[in-house]
Formats: sequence, C-alpha cells, structure tokens
Amino acid sequence: MALKLEHVSIRLNDRTLIQPLSLSVETGETVALMGASGSGKSTLLSFIAGGLEPPFTATGKVSLDGVQLDSLPPEARHIGRLFQDDLLFPHLTVGENLLFGMPRGPRPARLARVDAALAEAELPGFGERPPHTLSGGQRARVALMRALVAEPRAMLLDEPFNKLDAPLRQAMRSFVFEHIAARGIPCLMVTHDEADVPPGGRVLRLKDGEVTHA
Amino acid sequence: MPLTLTRRGFASLVALTPFLSTAHAEESWAGIEKQAKGQTVYFNAWAGSPQVNDYIAWAAGELNARHGITLEHVKLTDTAEAVRRVRDEVKAGKDGSAGLIWINGQNFHVMKEEQLLFGPFAWDLPNFALVDTDGKPTTLVDFAEGTEGLESPWGMAQLTFFADGAKLPAPPMSMMELLDLARDEPGRIAYPAPPDFHGATFVKQALAETIADRALLPLAIDKDDFREATQPLFAFLDQLHPYLWREGKQFPLTQAQVTQMLSDGELLMGLTFNPNEAANLVSSGTLPATTIAWQNRGGTIGNTHFVAIPVNAKAKAAAQVVANFLLSPEAQARKADLKVWGDPTVLDMDRLTPGQRALFTGGDAPGAVKDPARTIPEPHGSWVPLIEAAWLERYGA
Amino acid sequence: MNRLGAAPLLLLWALPLLAPLAMLLPAALDGEAWRMALAHPQLWPALALSLGAGAVSTLGALALTLTLLAGLYRSRVWDSLQALAASGLAIPHLAFAIGFGFLVMPSGLLARLFIGGEAPPQWVSVQDPWGLTLSLALALKELPFLLTAGLALLSRGDAALQLRQACRAAASLGHAPGSAFLRVVLPPLLKDLCWPLIIVFVYGATVVDMALVLGPTQPPALAVVIWHALNDVDPAMNGMGLAMVLLLTAALALVLGVVALLLRRARDPLHRRLAAGPSPLSAPRGLAVLLGAAALLILLLAMAVLVILSFAPRWPYPALLPPVADGAAWMKMTAAPLWVSLTLSLTAAATAVALAVLWFETQAPARDSWVNGLALLALALPQLASAGGQYKLFLPLGLTGTVFGLFLAHLTPVAAYVLIVLAGPYRAFDGRYVAAARALSVSRIRALLTVKLPLLKAPLLTAAAIGFAVSIAQYVPAQLIAAGRFSTLPMEAVTLAAGGNRALTAAFALALATPPLLAFLAAAMLGRPRWR
Repeated sequence: MALKLEHVSIRLNDRTLIQPLSLSVETGETVALMGASGSGKSTLLSFIAGGLEPPFTATGKVSLDGVQLDSLPPEARHIGRLFQDDLLFPHLTVGENLLFGMPRGPRPARLARVDAALAEAELPGFGERPPHTLSGGQRARVALMRALVAEPRAMLLDEPFNKLDAPLRQAMRSFVFEHIAARGIPCLMVTHDEADVPPGGRVLRLKDGEVTHA
Repeated sequence: MPLTLTRRGFASLVALTPFLSTAHAEESWAGIEKQAKGQTVYFNAWAGSPQVNDYIAWAAGELNARHGITLEHVKLTDTAEAVRRVRDEVKAGKDGSAGLIWINGQNFHVMKEEQLLFGPFAWDLPNFALVDTDGKPTTLVDFAEGTEGLESPWGMAQLTFFADGAKLPAPPMSMMELLDLARDEPGRIAYPAPPDFHGATFVKQALAETIADRALLPLAIDKDDFREATQPLFAFLDQLHPYLWREGKQFPLTQAQVTQMLSDGELLMGLTFNPNEAANLVSSGTLPATTIAWQNRGGTIGNTHFVAIPVNAKAKAAAQVVANFLLSPEAQARKADLKVWGDPTVLDMDRLTPGQRALFTGGDAPGAVKDPARTIPEPHGSWVPLIEAAWLERYGA
Repeated sequence: MNRLGAAPLLLLWALPLLAPLAMLLPAALDGEAWRMALAHPQLWPALALSLGAGAVSTLGALALTLTLLAGLYRSRVWDSLQALAASGLAIPHLAFAIGFGFLVMPSGLLARLFIGGEAPPQWVSVQDPWGLTLSLALALKELPFLLTAGLALLSRGDAALQLRQACRAAASLGHAPGSAFLRVVLPPLLKDLCWPLIIVFVYGATVVDMALVLGPTQPPALAVVIWHALNDVDPAMNGMGLAMVLLLTAALALVLGVVALLLRRARDPLHRRLAAGPSPLSAPRGLAVLLGAAALLILLLAMAVLVILSFAPRWPYPALLPPVADGAAWMKMTAAPLWVSLTLSLTAAATAVALAVLWFETQAPARDSWVNGLALLALALPQLASAGGQYKLFLPLGLTGTVFGLFLAHLTPVAAYVLIVLAGPYRAFDGRYVAAARALSVSRIRALLTVKLPLLKAPLLTAAAIGFAVSIAQYVPAQLIAAGRFSTLPMEAVTLAAGGNRALTAAFALALATPPLLAFLAAAMLGRPRWR
C-alpha cells in the first residue's frame, strides 16, 4: 500500500516548475514537501488528485496501491484532500457536508457514521448547523472528518494549517495527524512551515524545481 | 395605361369592365364558397386601433358562423411588414403566410408591379356590384394607379382636421387661413414629419391648394417639372414653418402624437384620414365633447383602402369570401357606425334596398364633419417620393 | 475541456446570430445602397446624435453609479440598493420613456405643478434637438443595470471580503473612506464594469423605441432613420438601411477602439494618481443620498404617472389629475398572449442559462472574449437587420411561422445578455470547492449539480431573470420570424402603441413590466444565500 510518483514533472506554459520527481509515500507514512510559494507544490497535489488545468501541464505516472491513476477521473482515485481553507459547502449543513462524500448505504447507518464523525470532531449535535455558525477551528475539524468519512486511500494536505491562528494550529496538527494515522493511509503534505511536520514525518525540499531529501 | 386620359374618363372606362362577366361569376361563386369552408385566412392588418381590432374580431365571428371560415387577425404596425414577407416567400417559392392584406397606396403599387397579387378577383365578388364606383372613383384607382380588380375596396378616407371648438370656434378652412391662424397662435400648430403618411398627406394638401395648375397632379412628373410646380408649395411651407410648434425645427412623429398633443392642450388642431375619427375619439373620451371636425372648403385629399390577396396565399377561396363579406351592406354599415369604427362605406346608397339602407344609422354625433367637402384624388404616385425627398432636403436636418 | 461542449451554443445561438452578417455582406458591396446612404441629408447629423446620446448617457449613468457606490459603500442602505436596482432593471425601456416623457414634456406633470396657466409652456424638453432628454432618460434607465453589475462584484462573497479588508488596510495607511474607495475599490470595479459599460453605450447609440418617444425628429437618431429604411417596402430603401447599419456599427467600433486606446495611454498617469499617497477625500455620502433619492423619485414618479395614464382617456393641461378615469384600456387585455409570452420567455431564459453553463464548463476562459464579442454584435445590430437576416436563413429551412423558429430568434438576444452577465461571477468561482467535492469521490456532473450550481444560485437566477426580461420585451421576432402567427404580449402592445392611444400604451407597458418585475423579485428572494 503506497502512493507512488514516477518521473512526475510539472510545467507552466513552457517553464518547468518541478523537474522529474520520483517518490513513494508508504502506508501510514507522512511525507512533507517544503518549498517557497509559487514553486509548484500545490500544482503537484492537483496533478496527483486529478484535475490539473491549463496553463499547467504535467508528465509522469502516479499509482496508488499498485493501481495506475493517470487515466482515472478525480472521483475514482479515492484520494482525500485538505486545502488552506476548509471549503465546507456553505449551502449544506455540517451533517450534509459529512454525508456528501460518504459511500452509499442504508440511511440509518450513514447517519450513525455522521454522529460518530461529529463525536470524533468533538462537535456532537452540530449536524444541523450551517457551517458559517462554526468557529474556524470547528470548521477545520469538520473539513478533516468530511474527507475521512469518504474512506480515502491516501490524503493530500495543502498547507492545511496556514490560515489558523497560532494556538489553534498546534491543536489542529495533532488532531489531523492522529486521525490520519489511525486510518493507516499514505499522506502527502505541502507546507512552508517546518513546525507542520509531524514527528516521524519525512521531509523533502523543493528548490529551483529540484527535490532534495533532507 | 394611357395616363393622358382625364381622371373621370379613365375611371368610368375601367368601371365598365367589372360588369361584363357577371353571369359567369355567379356560377362559380357558389363553388368558391364551398371550397372556402373550413379554410383559415390570416388577415394581415394594421392593428393600432382597438376599434379596428374589435371590428375584425366581430367579422371573424360572423365568417365562422356563416361560412365556416376561420379568420385570424395577424396584427401589424406597418403594412410594409407583410409586403416584404410575401416578397421573400415568393422569391423562396414558399407558401404564403398571409391570406389577405389590408392595403393601399405605395404598398399596393409595389405588390402589383412585382406581381405579388392574386387576381383580378375583386370585380367578380357578388357584393362589388353595390360599390359606388362612379361617386367614389378612388374605389377603382388607388393613388392614381388602376386597381384592375387586384384589390377589393373596403373603406373611404379623406383628410379631415379637428380641434376643440371651445378653443377654436372658427377653424381655418384653407391652407391660407391656417397660415393666419399659425401667425396668431405661434407654436400651437404642427403636422407630422413626412414620410409619415399623414404628414405627407398634409404636404400634398398644401400642394393641391398652392399649385398653379391642379391638372398636373394626376400625371406622372419628372424632377424638373416638379421643381417648378412645387415652388409655390415650398414658398408656403417656408412661410408657415416659423410659426409651427418648435418653430418648425422639430415635428411630431405621427398623427397619433399630434392627436395626443391636442388632447393634452399643447396643440390647437389635429388631422386624420378618417372623417369620423374625431367623433370616435369623443366617444372614447380622448377628446372633449366640444370637438369639431372639418374639411377644407376647396376639398381635401381622399382615397380608398382595400383588401388584397397575395399571389402565394394558401386559402384563396376563403380570402375572396372574406373580401365579399367585408363589402356586404351589413358589414359596411357596422363599420361605418361611429360607435364601432366610423369608417365611411364604399357602397352606393342608391344601389341598396331600403332595408339595407336602414342599416346605415349615421347620425350627427359630436365631432362629426358638418359640411363634407369634395374629394381631391391623390396625386400620381411619382409625386410622392419627390415630395418626400424635397421636404427632407429642406427641413430634415 | 471538451470542444463538443461548445456545439449547442454555436448551433442554436451563434449560427442564427451570424446569419444577418451574410445579409449585410451584399449590402456592403452594394454601391447604390452606399450612394443613397451617403446622400441622405440626415445621415451625418443623425450619426452624431446617436453617438452623442450613447456617450452622454453612458458617462451620465457611470457617474451616477460610481457616486452611489462610493457614497453608500458599507453604509446602512447598502443592502437595499440591490433590491432597488433589481426593480429598476425590470422596468421596460419603453415604459420608462413614456412615463419620463410625461414628467418633463411641456404639458407634463412638472409644468402642471410648477408653471400652470391656460396653455402649456413652450419648453424644449422632449424631442430637444440635441437629444439631451433622451440621454438623461437613458442614463437614468441604465443606472439600475450598472448598479446591479457593480453590486455583483462588491457583494460577491470572496471579493467583498477582500475589498473590505483592503479598505481597512487603506484606512490604516491614512486614507479617508473616499480616497480608499477611489484607490482600492474603484480599479477592480471599473474592470468589472467594462462590458456592462460597452453594452450601455451600444444600447444608447442604437435604441429605437426610446428615441421615438423622447428623441428629436429633425434629424432623428440614426437608429430611427435605419428603422424607417429597413421597414420600407422599397428594397432599395432596405439596402440603404443595411448600409447605414454597417456605418453605425463601424462608427461604434471606432469610438470604442479610440476609447480603449486612450485608456491604455492614460494608464500610467492614472496609476501614478492611485499611488499618490493618503488623501483626506471623504465619501460623497450626501451627494449619493441626494442623487440616489432623486433617481428613485423619478423612477417611481414615471411609473406612477404610467399607472394614472393607463386609466385616463384624456388628461388635459393644466389639470393635476385626469377629469375622468376608466378601465377601458385594461379591458383590452386578454390572457392568451400573456401565456404565449411567459412560456416562450421562460424556455428561452432557461435554455440560454443552460447553454451558457455548458459553454463555461467545457471551454477555456480565454475563449470568453470571443463569445462576448459575438454577444455584443447581437446587441449592437438593429433587430430589424438581425431578425431580417435570420428570416432569410429560416425561410428555406421551413422555420418561419414555427414555434421553434420563434424560440431561436428569442434566444439570440437572450443568450447574449445571459453570457455577458454570467461570465464574471461564473469564471470567478472558487474552483477548489469543486476539487474538494471530487476528492470526496463525486463525479464531475454531480459536483456541478450539487456544489457549483447551488453556490452560483444568485448569479444564475439574476442572469435568468435578465434573460427573461429581455425575451418578454421582444417584438420583432414574433412579427417577422413567426409571421404574426403567435400573438405575444409585446406584439399586442407594440401594434396598439402604433395607433398612439396613450392609455392603451401605458396599460400594456405596465403589463409588460410586471412579469420581469416578478422575475427579478423571485431571483432576489430565491437567490439570497442562506449561509450569509
């Protein structure tokens, strides 16, 4: 079980942002890719998740658990994502947001999973609330749970703690990595803050398009 | 067509022709009526007046009940819309979208010239025998162009002026008196800018009253003769315009706008082609009961309006039955009724039975013309574009 | 990106839209038509009048819009501006022209209130030779449109927040509110207003119905000259009209090109002014309140007058109220044309929005300018020319006199407006919401239907309402393309208006204003986000 990149390179028009990069993120492992903003880190994540849009182009292969992803649409890749913003759908309630990506099944079972997820997020009884009534930390926790109840086989984190204020950031870091670790899935994170890297996480640095192992 | 014929001689010459084939016509008319049953006629007719629209709706009901014909009123703002449509359809070899068109003047000329009309059919209509072709020669000659039976007369029109008698007790009975009135009341007289139909008619009326030799009017004219013949006309207009509304530098757009400005009190008098329009406007409340209507002492421009069948019409039989019905004493009497429309009949009262005559209950309503003047026929078609161009050149910008 | 996704829009909209060009081309080569056009004594003064009315009304509307936005930005009345703008947008141009005309004409309400006397004063108000009354009415009528476009930017979730923060930053750097608006809000605002401004200019320079009611006649606006020529029964006159269409279109393009050039050259000096440092310029709150109240009062008075007129067969000067009132005009209305119009317009608006979404979803944003250009063409060509060209295309295809042909003809202007109005908000949508949805194993279609479209509900509904309002006012297609076979509401209204009965015209103008008004109110109510 692993997320594998082979010779992945990212270009913006005719400029190469990331030189061919090969990388394997193992089950339960967290890899942090660090680099300045504009270096193409987030674009790389978009490529892995599927849905890279012009003017960006990419070459190379991505596989997850031995399955080639390149020709699969984003929804068939089973890769969860967290963004800088929580991106909770404002027109849906917290509960509906959680149900949005949850695999189909009998309704009572799904609702039970919503309650369980809310309990995990330390937000019991928040299911009917619209997202904008929640605090930033609460919304961030819901965003993670929303990604996890979709049963992803890998997680991509795009500077997920960047917009949280300092005290909250530390709490969120442990919350996020604790829950991802509990799923035992590979996790690739891009960030520019060393403090985001969890204990035991592997760090790669991206500079001038080249990746160096720290 | 020999244009050197005098108007009267010309008119009576063509007037003879309809009655040559009457026996044959009667035979085939029953066949036409039979064929017409169940057909739908799309009547393309100007629809700016609710009275006209209501009258057409009434005719539709009668035609359905009596002849099993469906009459659909296709409402137009301008008859040219229908003419252009027929032209394009014929060019493309397509069936006609129009079954019958309310028409006269330039639109008729164009359709006749481009052979866009079905017929001749009009003189074979049974009710055509009742038309007053002698007393109303314009039923056979449309703006100096012979109808040749390609259109069937529907109603009469004659330039008529109207005003509030309380404000204008002694109306101007000629163009010269109008000039005097304008001098006394500057800024209170206006006519619509040609090429608006009524505006052009006002100018034609002025032409008829100022031209040295009125016998020129029914004849074709070229540019040089026109310039000479219209010298008095433009001298008159040059005199008149400084005393008009906005000093003759701006003109109302339409006759309807003039009427509205009269009703509002901004202008002193209005003009119309329907001698009964003022009476009609009094009864609908647009004009006060003190309204008077008149025609200039020496006569005013008049004409006839018709219905014609496009050459590509789908229901030609039914269209003829409709045209014949519109000529019936009953339909004509209802049309002439001031409370309905007030459009003068084309029929000859002397050719009607006493019973039919009794249908015409024309009375003396407020706003009706007291002393009808004689009709001055429209000048020959070649005058119109020259008048419009010369007017535009002088006063257009 | 799927090339095929553009096909429906091209087939149903662009093709019928480009058909008139095929008709204009022969006219461009017709020497006689050009000779007649250039010899027309009214050509140049009419062209000058048209361009002048377009320019003056655009600048006037822009000045009003910016004053209102600058003065009322982040004030208490801000939220009600949107509803007011939407209601103003719903008033048909013709209805406003008639109502406004009755306010300012010599025998109008103002003269009755303030002058009196036996006979009306001899004011040069409506039909003034410089077209100022027309320009003023156009500016007032376009104010709601520009306000709506501006508010769309300033009230859009993401952008609004950013601008508010930027304003706060500017204030902390010593800028007074007026200066902050001018230097922070105005630049992106003007960028967003670019297309709406072009529309307003082109509309003002090509409008016929308002020019007929309020504009001068000697000469009239060029669009009116063209309208008469294209309506003429003489093909030579039609040809002259088409030549004039080309001339007017070229003149509009020239003016826009010159303005674009001047703006480009003025960019550096403008930017120097933007970065000129703090200034104590305050927000023109008082002026905005004054102008806003005046504009609102005129709009309300014009509509109120229209209601009175619809019940008054006669209203002679100097009476302040009509001597008699009756409902005769309203009795002439029948339900059938209303249903035809409602069905047709709802279908056209819904189709236009669907086609626009399909385009935005499948085509790169870079291609939008191409579509915007086409849309502008659809709005700039006089309808008699464009519908006339469509008629020639539809006739051999057997589409004339059919519902489908009528629908296609309606789609031309409707889709044009919808595309222009929707492009901004649609392209500005935060695509990460869709990425987030798809990371939750949701297909592209489902992400579109369950996340993107619901989040874009407000602009989609506004665009649909605008499309509906545009469609329901269409007259020419029903007359020309459908050969008058389907009686629509504007057909009844315009044919009766040709007769000049003011009560009837007022009643039908009000009837025409009602469905769009309801549509805009519905859009405003349904489109209000629950989550704000």
